[in-house]
Amino acid sequence: MTDLQLRDPVHRVSTKAPVLWVCLALGQAIIGAVVLWLVTGRWNWFSMPWWVWVLYVVVALTYLVLMPMIRYRVHRWESTETAVFIQTGWLTLERRIAPMSRVQTVDFEQGAISRIVGLASVTVTTASAAGPLKIHGLDKDVAQRLVDELTRRTQAEPGDAT
Amino acid sequence: MTEARELQRAAGWRRLDSRMLLVHPVNELIRFLPLVIGFFFVGSSQEGSSLYWHIGGIAVPILLGIMRFATTSFRITGSQIELRRGLISRNVLTAPIDRVRTVELTASPIHRILGLAKVKIGTGSASKSGSEKLELDSLRGHDARALRVELLHRSREVSEVSGVSEDSGVSTSSTAGTGSTTGTGSTTRTGSTTGALIDDIVLLRLDPAWVRYAPLTTSGLLIAFGALAATNSFLARLVNDVNGSELTTRVKESPVWLSVLVGLVIVIVVISVLSALGYILTNWGFTLSRDRNGRSFHIRRGLLTTRETSLDKERVRGLEIHEPLGLRLAGAGHLSAIVTGLDRRSRGSSPLVPPAPTAVVVGVGEAVLEETGPFTAALLPHGPAARRRRYARALSGAAVLPAFLVVGWLAWDWPPWLVPVSLLVFVAATALARDRYAGLGHALTSKYLIVRSGSFRGRRDALQRSGIIGWNIRQSWFQKRVGVVRLTATTSAGKQAYTAYDLSEGVAIALADEAVPGLLRQFLRAAS
Repeated sequence: MTDLQLRDPVHRVSTKAPVLWVCLALGQAIIGAVVLWLVTGRWNWFSMPWWVWVLYVVVALTYLVLMPMIRYRVHRWESTETAVFIQTGWLTLERRIAPMSRVQTVDFEQGAISRIVGLASVTVTTASAAGPLKIHGLDKDVAQRLVDELTRRTQAEPGDAT
Repeated sequence: MTEARELQRAAGWRRLDSRMLLVHPVNELIRFLPLVIGFFFVGSSQEGSSLYWHIGGIAVPILLGIMRFATTSFRITGSQIELRRGLISRNVLTAPIDRVRTVELTASPIHRILGLAKVKIGTGSASKSGSEKLELDSLRGHDARALRVELLHRSREVSEVSGVSEDSGVSTSSTAGTGSTTGTGSTTRTGSTTGALIDDIVLLRLDPAWVRYAPLTTSGLLIAFGALAATNSFLARLVNDVNGSELTTRVKESPVWLSVLVGLVIVIVVISVLSALGYILTNWGFTLSRDRNGRSFHIRRGLLTTRETSLDKERVRGLEIHEPLGLRLAGAGHLSAIVTGLDRRSRGSSPLVPPAPTAVVVGVGEAVLEETGPFTAALLPHGPAARRRRYARALSGAAVLPAFLVVGWLAWDWPPWLVPVSLLVFVAATALARDRYAGLGHALTSKYLIVRSGSFRGRRDALQRSGIIGWNIRQSWFQKRVGVVRLTATTSAGKQAYTAYDLSEGVAIALADEAVPGLLRQFLRAAS
């Protein structure tokens, strides 16, 4: 039992991925602000001291700056002949590994913002409900190539992957 | 020409048992029995119209039953089972027999009176819509069992022998007039279509004394609370009656501690009785057996509605031993199989042993796995970091109560003596943390990965290493600081994921690497 450690997966996600995350986080921050304004200002359910707004903006800005930076450092992926390996998260680190022989489906997905910036995500599922491997923020071409590669490799594997 | 082909196609089609025509009408009759009796006594001159409604209510199910009977048929060809349904829109459902993973026979009291059983065939298909379920409602008990044997055994033989003779079990049994006796008895003989009788090896038979464990299980408590809620209105009336009677005055005169004690005793007795009833209803006559060839397991249970499940042995991916706190203290537990191909509703696990003494659970588990390792293997503890985290979580959670009471004392003038009393939660929290740490453990045998966790819902899972189809390794910010991770093995069976909590990182990686050789190795950091 030496101190074994997993290394990071080889590939980073697209350099444009932080843009996507900032956009999504900004959307969330704005929705949150609107709800806060509706509840306290417009409908006047309860009064809220002004400094809560300052706090909100500070927290939101910190989140907007830090989250994409950390996330870009963390999010990585790798696909070898025999397995797929991904790493996600920003406060909580999550690593998932699935053997190629157990891969059941490979999904290619593009949301509205992703399409504008030319990104896509790839989801690899196994027969377990607990283990989809999702890689966000890949360049569209890279994602397409990955999907082709995975499809080719999983088709070569015998068995029903359960 | 076409007629001949039609005939040929029709060969081998079997029907449901004609007695199923009675199931729905009898069901309806029972539901309307109070009304029917009412009409009989009161007469129904002015309520004639509603009588028509009720006759309709009985007639429609009968018609539907006849339709279903007339239009449903099934057959087994060399390698497939086909189910044909529908009058106007024909619907033929085909499933390869080697995909059949479980066969379940259920018989409600009415089914049992008529000697029938409903057959549910699980193929592990993800589709849960009704039209794609393989369900035969109903066959004669004997035929249902024959079909089960045919399905589960044929699934092996298909690959070996092609073109099995198409022996119709329906005609032989109906002429012989057997089958009615096999409804309820404790017989474990199973008739196969070839006429041979296979004796099953009984691994477990319910000992009625185990009912004593019923109140200690969480499900027993849930059943009891459910029953209490259902009888709520009745209880309310009872309370009303009691109110104002001399009983209330007597309660008022007696000291507080006495009435609390009496109330507690009453609650405990009621819960015990209800959960014991629940245990008896679901588990009466629980029998676990394995067929001679060791290919499948049969579980039979139920007092009123009997349920017989057959599991293809190859689909069993491991076992879960459940030891909730109450059962653990009483030296008991219950056992489930981790199975692929059961539907999501039953959460992919099938009970193998109802709450019973640990020795029984372990004995059955070893018999099922044909291996002793998973139950006797010493589990490795998860180390000091895991222990500290258990204590930190329990104690910080417990601190909420005294803090809240202090605030209440300062802000709203709550009685201050509540605060020192509430410090007792720390004792409870310490005990909980200690138990939770003692619950953590993992081990690896030649075929199984074993993980144990939990206190109130303590469990030990043995998952086949070949059934692991991926790893999730999760590390929160707090975990990162002390160098531990949560290691989850994913699988297509049972809970879908089995987790070892707070393993130190190196141990987790080594465990995962060893359990599924060749998978993690390529992602390891070169030893520095």
